[in-house]
Amino acid sequence: MFKKKSSSALSTAASYLSAVSEADARARAHGGTPNSTPALSLSSSLTTSSEDTVLDESGAEVVNALLYPRLPPTSEQVFTTVHTEFGHCANEDYRYTSQHRAGTSYKSNAEQDPPYYILLTTYLSYLMVICLGHLRDFVGKRMRPSFYKHLVARNGYAALNSDFDSFYTRRLKSRIDDCFSHPVTGVPGRTIVLLDRYSPDNNATLIPTGTRTRALNISSYNYLGFAQGKGACADAVEESVWRYGVSSGGTRLEGGTLDLHLQAEALVARFVGMEDALISSMGFATNSTIIPALVSKGCLVVSDEFNHASIRYGVRLSGASVRMFKHNDMQSLEALLREVISQGQPKTHRPWKKILLIVEGLYSMEGTLVNLPVVMELKKKYKFSLFIDEAHSIGALGPHGRGVADYFGINPRSIDILMGTFTKSFGAAGGYIAGNKALIDRLRLQGHSGVYAEAMTPPVLTQVLASMASIMGVTLPAEKTVSPALPLLRSSADLHMPEPEPECAYPGTAPAAALPSWMPLVPSLVDGSDGRVRLRRLAFNTRYLNRGLRKLGFITYGHDDSPVVPLLLFNLGKMAVFSRMMRTRATPIVVVVVGYPATALVTSRVRFCLSAAHTKEDVDTVLTACDEIGDVLDLKKAAGERWPLQEIIDRAVELVNMLEVP
Amino acid sequence: MSGTASTLEPLFSFVTSSYAALETNFFKIPGSAVVARYVKSSHQNDPGRTLLEVILIIFAVRTLLQSRTRADHSGKHFIQFNEQEIDDLVDEWSPEPLAQPLSAQEKADLASVPVIVGPTGPKPKLSTGKTVTNLASYNFAGLAGNSVIKERAIDTLRKYGLGSCGPPGFYGTQDVHIQLEKDIADFLGTEAAIIYSQAFSTISSVIPAFCKRGDVIVADRGVNFAIQKGLQISRCTVRWYDHNDMESLEQVLESVEKERRKKKGPLTRRFIVTEGIFDHDGAMSDLPKLVELKEKYKYRLILDESVSFGSIGRTGRGLTELYNVPASQVDMLVGSIANGLSSCGGFCAGSSVVVNHQRINGTSFVFSAAMPAMLSVAASEGINILRSTPSILSTLHDNVRAVRAVLDRVDCIAIPSHPASAIIHLTIRWPAPATLQAPPAGASPGKPSNPLSVLPRDAPQFDVELEERLLQDVVDEALAQGVLVTRARRLRGQELVEARPSVRLAVSAALTRKECEKAANVVKTAFVKVLGKRR
Ligand SMILES: Cc1ncc(COP(=O)(O)O)c(C=O)c1O
Repeated sequence: MFKKKSSSALSTAASYLSAVSEADARARAHGGTPNSTPALSLSSSLTTSSEDTVLDESGAEVVNALLYPRLPPTSEQVFTTVHTEFGHCANEDYRYTSQHRAGTSYKSNAEQDPPYYILLTTYLSYLMVICLGHLRDFVGKRMRPSFYKHLVARNGYAALNSDFDSFYTRRLKSRIDDCFSHPVTGVPGRTIVLLDRYSPDNNATLIPTGTRTRALNISSYNYLGFAQGKGACADAVEESVWRYGVSSGGTRLEGGTLDLHLQAEALVARFVGMEDALISSMGFATNSTIIPALVSKGCLVVSDEFNHASIRYGVRLSGASVRMFKHNDMQSLEALLREVISQGQPKTHRPWKKILLIVEGLYSMEGTLVNLPVVMELKKKYKFSLFIDEAHSIGALGPHGRGVADYFGINPRSIDILMGTFTKSFGAAGGYIAGNKALIDRLRLQGHSGVYAEAMTPPVLTQVLASMASIMGVTLPAEKTVSPALPLLRSSADLHMPEPEPECAYPGTAPAAALPSWMPLVPSLVDGSDGRVRLRRLAFNTRYLNRGLRKLGFITYGHDDSPVVPLLLFNLGKMAVFSRMMRTRATPIVVVVVGYPATALVTSRVRFCLSAAHTKEDVDTVLTACDEIGDVLDLKKAAGERWPLQEIIDRAVELVNMLEVP
Repeated sequence: MSGTASTLEPLFSFVTSSYAALETNFFKIPGSAVVARYVKSSHQNDPGRTLLEVILIIFAVRTLLQSRTRADHSGKHFIQFNEQEIDDLVDEWSPEPLAQPLSAQEKADLASVPVIVGPTGPKPKLSTGKTVTNLASYNFAGLAGNSVIKERAIDTLRKYGLGSCGPPGFYGTQDVHIQLEKDIADFLGTEAAIIYSQAFSTISSVIPAFCKRGDVIVADRGVNFAIQKGLQISRCTVRWYDHNDMESLEQVLESVEKERRKKKGPLTRRFIVTEGIFDHDGAMSDLPKLVELKEKYKYRLILDESVSFGSIGRTGRGLTELYNVPASQVDMLVGSIANGLSSCGGFCAGSSVVVNHQRINGTSFVFSAAMPAMLSVAASEGINILRSTPSILSTLHDNVRAVRAVLDRVDCIAIPSHPASAIIHLTIRWPAPATLQAPPAGASPGKPSNPLSVLPRDAPQFDVELEERLLQDVVDEALAQGVLVTRARRLRGQELVEARPSVRLAVSAALTRKECEKAANVVKTAFVKVLGKRR
């Protein structure tokens, strides 16, 4: 095979060296100028065709639906965003506020079971694919041993990944590999540009065709639509790159701390309503490197069964014991708590040193919110510490976008630790941990990231600062005449360590002193209108799609206010077909399909992630597509009242504003 | 009697009718006839066996259904309480606080962290208002603040926005990521490469992606914290060899081989895990020897080049370039884009089998968002600059030599780092008898260390607290003289082997030779001043 050839060709150092220098020469010849990377010569071809990320594509009339608003803006309406990144939607009716109704108890949509024949055929299809896979392996190993070379022991080396271990990947997942890891380009905003590919050999290789397709993007975690190449945040980031470059040069404790880190941490703390916060350069690592600093041997972690891999990774490193409870089931949680507290540590029955309950604010595969009101009651009674991973809920939930606590109207200070990531709602990267000052200081020293992991880079920090300020709105210093378009000048003395406001109002605005003085502030950011519109548009889109799908008769999981909407497909094969049908529609739509092992065997699903960047028409488009495909794939199995598609589209506002959907 | 029979009659008829229904339904299931025939015939042969089989099936179903996390109420350690008792126990229980407040020492520790105002680089400005010479930040090739990189990054920002808003599997893979992977693979001369969005999380995901329970890892005793965490997660059998000691490695490999032959166990995956330049002390691995040993004993080599990539070799390709060893002979070559290319993230280069395996099994690759596009392009551009301007690395190496020339022969400083290493660890050399405490690795004759234990046989003794305090004084003194250096920060108590406290310099090509010499002299003076007081 290829590997064999290349390694034998490069077996001597001399030939290796010459190969490497050849590669250098090739790279240099490629770019023309010595400093242009192939990456950019490629990506620049993307925009040379026209300004404004509008791509030159074939089938113009198709793409128009994505490129231009259905209703052209009137002369009074000014849109400052690029429609493909952040859709134009001026209709004030298409707004809603994400908030829990006081006095009611939290309830997710009932998880409906599909008819038995669907379950049966699902199991049968697994059985069939597995049998077929084994059969193909059996024959293949005899007929084409070279294809299995890397899967069996050879030359005294055990296989890196035996044929048994990789069976699922090779024989099941590879059948639908064209639905995963699709390469894209451009802003992952309201639309996204797919780099088309095809496979001549059943997905063993996927070859780029060189063409591109712009598709409606209902897959990226871009809840508030901050994935933008144009606009206030991008301007701020550009300014920061000119000033700071792209590197922070090391770990936080070893010379990698910039003033931007302190500013961003202070703003995050203010945003989530906690005393202090720390920032880490990767969301995954925020969990995996901080949880070990919180709990250790002799402590117990009580964990929701569907918690994210990063949490499980961190807990495993910590050495603490773990017990799981049924997903979001408060009775199961209470029973477990009673048991573990009364029994104490295994064998010795010594009381646990600490019990840490770890839950997520919004579950990204289920669309459920944590039942926080009940958790808080349990917390009072059972005295455990509470850690909420708000990776998906921060920014996406609550009337002020401050996450689940805001959504349920609960004081965040009554929660011990709030964790979240910037990858989702803020269009940035990395994560934070917020809590009281003593705790956060302890984690700064004791967490693995502060000492060993690279600090967050300046452009990412700036995106965090700008997008957060945009959601919060900015309070300008009183004595200044309001000239927000100008960068605010301040003395450099208060550059870091923004002093605490008198009565740090939560959920309040960001004082201008908390932001870098060079950050350009546009009026819509200062008065908070930009953020408010994003929050309210997201809330509308969310409820509209959730309820629309159910009115069409689909089985969905989760809560109506969850911007993650899982639609159940059940059958393995339907995952692939659904994804392909969506992608090849006249208005292409990209969706995420997930199946085993990310979900239970029979609950394969497609997951929609809504965004403030979508317009109501975009959600209409998605509903229409689901309606048609749902008929073809026999997916409409839910009980309950149904509406025809047109009625849903026409009565969208009414549907969203209903208290309960019958 | 008849009374009971008549009352029982409806029950009997119900049982028979439901049995009949069950039977007809059962035979509707495809394949049921076979099962029925099997049961019948086995029952004919031996009625006891039916019972046994039924019990077996029930048992199997029970074990399957019993979740591992469910309480073992039946366990012998389970105590039965009534509700009242539980309530009392709940009331009684008082947990420890989640975190102990910092001690005065720890507070001072945290306060001593320097804050840079404005961009980092060779001459940053600190929050104290002072402009200093930077020997603390990783900026080997001086790429931080490079204006070409800035321009590229901003171009990319305008086309891609900042975040990728999704994990690589779900539309987070952008063409710039694919390009960076290709650039790295080309640069190193491997078949493929994969990028992770944080350097620290790279190797701690790479190791568990390949090494499972039962596999064997032979690792250096001095590996960095990220590797230690990777080993811990992978749960495989770990054997340790003395820090950077190839003889010790060979002995351990030999002993593992013997053990395997004795046990006649199956062939398992075996790995050698070590670093190119060690983060803990700057020592350098003997790569040709490593490759020779790994091929002799049929191990795979996982080499962490987080420090050496971007700082060693003619153009910064790392140890493989320095030693002229084809990178394809290192099975998994892990490096840091953050350190080496002044961007963010890490990578693992290797064969396409190795790389593709990680795309599904690398935990922090699969479950985390892809790197921001502009940082990916910044890294590609960094590679391009390294490629086209070899003078950068020769400047760096000159600077390293200049610093070493000043610091190498100072009484109170011991330098465990390799002369070519761009990170230089300075430890305290105590006068007279104490100098015997750190014999050059491998020189101790007699019995080798126990490969089962991470602790070496005669571990050097040192007073961590005292040395850290003195070194902090050195750092403060140097800072007062306008040179930013840092203590190598460690998670004391969490590292498997405590590393000797040290001051860590990171030399940069962005400084001139003069500046480096001057800064090194300041550090030297600071050492002499602080330690001289104690003599
Ligand atoms: C609950 C949760 N925590 C943490 C993460 C990791 O965040 P990041 O992608 O920023 O590494 C995710 C991302 O998918 C998540 O869903």
